[in-house]
Amino acid sequence: MAEPVVHGTGVGWRPEIAGVVADLPELDFCEVIAESVDPAAPPRGVVELRDRGIAVVPHGVRLSLGSADGLDRHRAEHLAACAAALGAPLVSEHVSFTRVAGRDAGHLLPVPRTREALDVLVANVTATQSLLDVPLALEPIAALFDWPGEELTEAEFLTRLLDRTGALLLLDVANVHANALNRGADPRAVLDALPLDRVAYVHVAGGSEHAGDAAHGDPGVYHDTHTDAVPDEVLALLGELCDRARPPAVMLERDGHYPPAAELTAEVATIARTARFAGPTRLTGTAP
Amino acid sequence: MSDALAAAQAALVDSLVAGAAGPPGFDVVRLATVRRALLRKRAGEIARIWPLLAAVHGPSWAGVVAEHLDGVAPGGSLRDGWDVARALRAAGTLPASAAEELASREVAWRYDGTSAPARRRLPAVRRGGRIVFVQVGGRTVRLG
Repeated sequence: MAEPVVHGTGVGWRPEIAGVVADLPELDFCEVIAESVDPAAPPRGVVELRDRGIAVVPHGVRLSLGSADGLDRHRAEHLAACAAALGAPLVSEHVSFTRVAGRDAGHLLPVPRTREALDVLVANVTATQSLLDVPLALEPIAALFDWPGEELTEAEFLTRLLDRTGALLLLDVANVHANALNRGADPRAVLDALPLDRVAYVHVAGGSEHAGDAAHGDPGVYHDTHTDAVPDEVLALLGELCDRARPPAVMLERDGHYPPAAELTAEVATIARTARFAGPTRLTGTAP
Repeated sequence: MSDALAAAQAALVDSLVAGAAGPPGFDVVRLATVRRALLRKRAGEIARIWPLLAAVHGPSWAGVVAEHLDGVAPGGSLRDGWDVARALRAAGTLPASAAEELASREVAWRYDGTSAPARRRLPAVRRGGRIVFVQVGGRTVRLG
């Protein structure tokens, strides 16, 4: 097991829910979108959390580590500056590309699971790590499609990437759920194949199923929206993960259509309970 | 770094946001699903920068964005919303509150429709809805 860098229960800090997050009982850490942070003047709400001893993890969404035309060094430096400004114990980004050759998809897109794309990722991740003073965790994304001609399974691809870079794994169980559903696979089998000993922390998020259009050969898809409640199936998958290897830290990601404070607080509590961070084990500090 | 892969990635992005045909071998139904999802996401992002433009269209906002920006490469939310607002104004279908929002931007910024908007250095007057905006020395005054 990798040395844990964050512990307990967390939430994705967003300006819209800053008040709710500040009032959450038993909050151990939070994540902040790196691109929304000015290292010279980080959001006041985030600074206040940090000053209370709550760890802050900058989470990049636009670094585009999978870009085959190379790393945007300026963005990598920004991520490192965010970590330094917030005293972060680690930073995270995605196994994905968003930009290439002057184009910007404005969205996390999958890279092909090929040796060529793996070499690209290793080079960009290694270059990023050379700018960072803290560990980097990599998150596999939810993807609605795969590339043709892939050579490796997602688990094989990730294991090689983490082995070659020494990066940690940010495992999003909602992404595992979404990908398994959309590929017609068993999410528990996916968990069994992933390098769970590399997990730094876990994301949990909501999504929704969209009916397809059978007339056009569309069977429907699960969208990882971050704007819906966390489905029972995702919570169950978090339980399945904890049965296999209890992660050091778990957090809720919500990015819009924010529910009332009580609902959000309850959702964080449910996640903590599912990961067994709440209750007596937490008070005594012993593992279950 | 990897020219072949970079070209393949560029072709994929073009098919998702710039109206190009889907690269061979991909599931075209799923690519279409992603293209629609990206347009919905873009509508939400534009709404943050152009709140009145989005609000005045209510639940049909995402459809308005899809109608005007499907196949148009993203220029950032500021420019994307600007393009939609101008297209609606040209068609005579821009509601008053959104017209005021557009005029308040245009009195302070120059936007040529192709590159990033820049602050005006000279005074300007723009009318939108029932409001006249006067900008002098970077300060804007609402009249009406």
